[in-house]
Amino acid sequence: MTPGPPIVLRLFARFVPGDLREPITGDLTEEYLAMRDRRGPARATLWLWGQAARLAWTFRWERTAHGRPLPPIGDELRSMSYMWDALRQDLAFGVRMLRRQPGFTVVAVIALALGIGANTAIFSVVDAVLWRSLPYPGADEIVSIGEQRTREGRLSGPVSPADFFDWRREGRSFRAMAAYTETAVNLTGVGEPERLRGLSVSPGFLDVLGVHPAQGRDFRTEEETDGRDRVVLLTDAFWRRRFGADPAVVGRAVSFNGNPYEVIGILPAAFWWPTQPDMIVPLALDDHDRTLRAAHFLDVVARRRPEVPFSRAREEMAVIGARLSSAYPEENTGHGPNLRPLRQALVGDMRTALLVLLGAVGLVLLIACANVATLLLARATSRQKELAVRIAVGGARLRLVQQLLTESLVLALAGGCAGLLLAAWGMAALRHVLPAQFAALPGIDHLGVDARVLLSSLVLSLVTGVVFGVAPALIASDQRVGATLNEETRGGSGGARGRRMRSALVVAELALSLVLLVGAGLLMVSFRNLTEVSPGFRPQQLVTTRLTLPYSRYADRPRAVAFYNAVFDRLRAVPGVDRVAATSAPPFSGLGGRLNLEIEHRSVESPLPVRAHPRIVSPDYFATMGVPLVRGRVFTDRDNADAPDVVIINEAAARSFWPGDDPIGDRISLGDPVRWMEIVGIVGDIRHEGLDAEANPEAYMPFQQGFVAFGTGLVRGMSLVVRTSADASAMAPIIRTAVAGVDDQQPVGLIRPMDALIAQSVAPRRLNLLLLSAFAFVAVVLTASGLYGVMAYLVTQRTREIGVRMALGASRASVLALMLRQAGAMTLTGIGVGLVGAYVLARYLASLLFGVSASDPTVYLAVSALLAAVAFAAIVIPSSRATRVDPLSALR
Amino acid sequence: MAAVDVSALGEFEQVVLLSILRLGDEAYAVSIRDEIARCTGREVSRGSIYITLDRLETKGYLKSRLADPTPERGGRAKRYYGLRPRAVEALKDSRRALVALWRGLERVLGQA
Repeated sequence: MTPGPPIVLRLFARFVPGDLREPITGDLTEEYLAMRDRRGPARATLWLWGQAARLAWTFRWERTAHGRPLPPIGDELRSMSYMWDALRQDLAFGVRMLRRQPGFTVVAVIALALGIGANTAIFSVVDAVLWRSLPYPGADEIVSIGEQRTREGRLSGPVSPADFFDWRREGRSFRAMAAYTETAVNLTGVGEPERLRGLSVSPGFLDVLGVHPAQGRDFRTEEETDGRDRVVLLTDAFWRRRFGADPAVVGRAVSFNGNPYEVIGILPAAFWWPTQPDMIVPLALDDHDRTLRAAHFLDVVARRRPEVPFSRAREEMAVIGARLSSAYPEENTGHGPNLRPLRQALVGDMRTALLVLLGAVGLVLLIACANVATLLLARATSRQKELAVRIAVGGARLRLVQQLLTESLVLALAGGCAGLLLAAWGMAALRHVLPAQFAALPGIDHLGVDARVLLSSLVLSLVTGVVFGVAPALIASDQRVGATLNEETRGGSGGARGRRMRSALVVAELALSLVLLVGAGLLMVSFRNLTEVSPGFRPQQLVTTRLTLPYSRYADRPRAVAFYNAVFDRLRAVPGVDRVAATSAPPFSGLGGRLNLEIEHRSVESPLPVRAHPRIVSPDYFATMGVPLVRGRVFTDRDNADAPDVVIINEAAARSFWPGDDPIGDRISLGDPVRWMEIVGIVGDIRHEGLDAEANPEAYMPFQQGFVAFGTGLVRGMSLVVRTSADASAMAPIIRTAVAGVDDQQPVGLIRPMDALIAQSVAPRRLNLLLLSAFAFVAVVLTASGLYGVMAYLVTQRTREIGVRMALGASRASVLALMLRQAGAMTLTGIGVGLVGAYVLARYLASLLFGVSASDPTVYLAVSALLAAVAFAAIVIPSSRATRVDPLSALR
Repeated sequence: MAAVDVSALGEFEQVVLLSILRLGDEAYAVSIRDEIARCTGREVSRGSIYITLDRLETKGYLKSRLADPTPERGGRAKRYYGLRPRAVEALKDSRRALVALWRGLERVLGQA
């Protein structure tokens, strides 16, 4: 049995001169068969391919060098083989030409690598976050339904339970609809107590996502009811971490907040949800909560029936919303359901930032293309003689264009390879600086170079090669032989078309750079404005951590208050701890809801619902945070359960509800049931939701008193704030020890310095600014080098003309002025076009700006001046060389 | 002393010719390459062997014959090479020239 040699030999034979074909293929077969016996067919085949390729290459080279005739080939192969031959020749020639001018090649490859690299990196992020489908089957069918509240200017907010139950009952467009809220519980009873992140979901949540538990079962409908909800699904990661992937956990009970929950199943390892929960429990509302229509605290997802288009589902929900508005005018006027694809709801306002970045890198790539095109044009001009000769001896223009384009493609592919390296490196770096907010974005956790990214950068490289190569190739190959030879002998500057083209490219580069600079400038001013905003308290030397006391041991308020006071006492005894307090919702925590506010003896007629954020605080809160008291007094220990109920409001509340009036002494009530509290003080505003968000009306209540709207819930879930004169990072063990000293079953959440929270809140903007500035910098460097190159080239080309001028008595100054005039005109045109472009494009930035208008004249002026200065530097160096032209040698 | 053209044969051409001489009737591309590797420790690429053999045959230094096809070569014939008298003369010439050049240099370059 001797199976014939692989097909490769027949292919290979095409490249071997006829008389050598048989012995050589015979030799290879002999060695191949021997090797196959020794090392197996796979290795042998690999070896044979390698040898055949090397030999084919050797003979190809030998044929061109020594003129051996082509082996006779079949007709059917001739035309393809000819094209292939031409391409190979062009490739080899292109590579030789590029290697002969390493300076040009290196500059061009760097420019392209920057452009393609930046695009590849940003593309892969945008692709992962915005375009790749979410990791659920039929992800297109999943929608998020929020409550639109036009009166308050909210496009999509949380949903009230009563509305959700009506939507779920009436919506015909959906296979499943589920509500969920984030939750957190204390895990006790197995080793260290731990604070877990979780989701409370109504049954059907997993149906909406199309997920089935890997073990055990999903929630049952009846587990939505209060009292039957002590069941839990664990995520795979948590199950592995905490229970060592023990399958016997299913069916066992775990203790959450001191209550037993039966583990009914484990979610699959691939289950993904942006908040990365540890577990999922049923959302069980009691009979009272199910009827709430004015309290909005649920998020809703639904899976639309595949046969119902998105628009029909939206129309159906709008009809249901309108019916609810007329049925419950008091709660639902101006409210309505707002359907969005789930991805859009998850990505939110990151979308604009990402698209702006994608646009920015697109501009950088255009600049890189223009840059390389000018280089190619200059080079084509210096190769005019070669090209003219080739045309004179009968070279077809198409063939010349093909050859020049092949060179561009070789260049672009080299740039693409270098760019891919840059992108891989950039993405690895990016992963380390991504702010925490990005961790919740879909696809961000497996960001990297994969097949899609490779393919996209290959396509990008090829397109780039054509974009920057085609115009220079057409211009260079359009040679009327006589004219070119004449120009060549005159030493002119390369044809009017080439000259115009080069100027246009430089103008384009300048204009695009200016657009990027304006964008970066606007973001920079925004960021400066933002960081100069005072948060309303002193965040330095302040640490915060969340404590959630379990209901089983802290059911009543006095016990909870006693716990906090004991912790305060222990902490105050530690040297370095200046002040300590607690609050139900610290700033920059994302915590806090709103309640309706009533003012005694007054019905406030207002187009907006009168609402305020309730905050439960310990007496020392304002002093600890550094919030100034504006009027009245702060809380003291005497404001306890036996004293009259008191409340402190912030300035925003005073401004909104008592314009031009003194609220001190008035009584207000928050939420249900009515319980009047006397206003005893007004404190300064805190930017609770972020430096870029206006302060909202707030009402502070002392934690010893009986604020009832949320029962004791707000008192049991509080954040400690500790002001220290010592190192803030050293506070974590001190706080843990103090809490454990009071209750060793009580877990402590993450302990974070307040200024780190603020820094994190602006981190996405900082990253945006950083990236856009980096791209603008690259753009300016590319543009400057392009301008420099063009000017240097012009000076060389016009050496003779300048020599004549100087010989005829032109001064150095007038020669310099001549060069500057020409370059200055280009620069000014570029800046002018760029200003118009920036003005048009900057409005897409509007949502990313803070405290600065998208058409802020200062920014436009400043970046124009900057670009003009850079351009001047790039122009003046080669131009001043023109003034040193020696007339004699120039004319010789 | 007759004038000797040392450059008539390239260094690698000499290596190939000498290997063929050593192999006698068994000289074909594969065995030549093995012989060169055995004697000089040099791994030579197949391409340069074929091209050198081809070039030497064109120059008239080598003759070749096709043997009968064998199954272990996929039914393809083997091309055996042998030296023409010109090649033997050229090798002698270059040896003479080299020996003349070496003479008296033993002390400088060592015995090797």
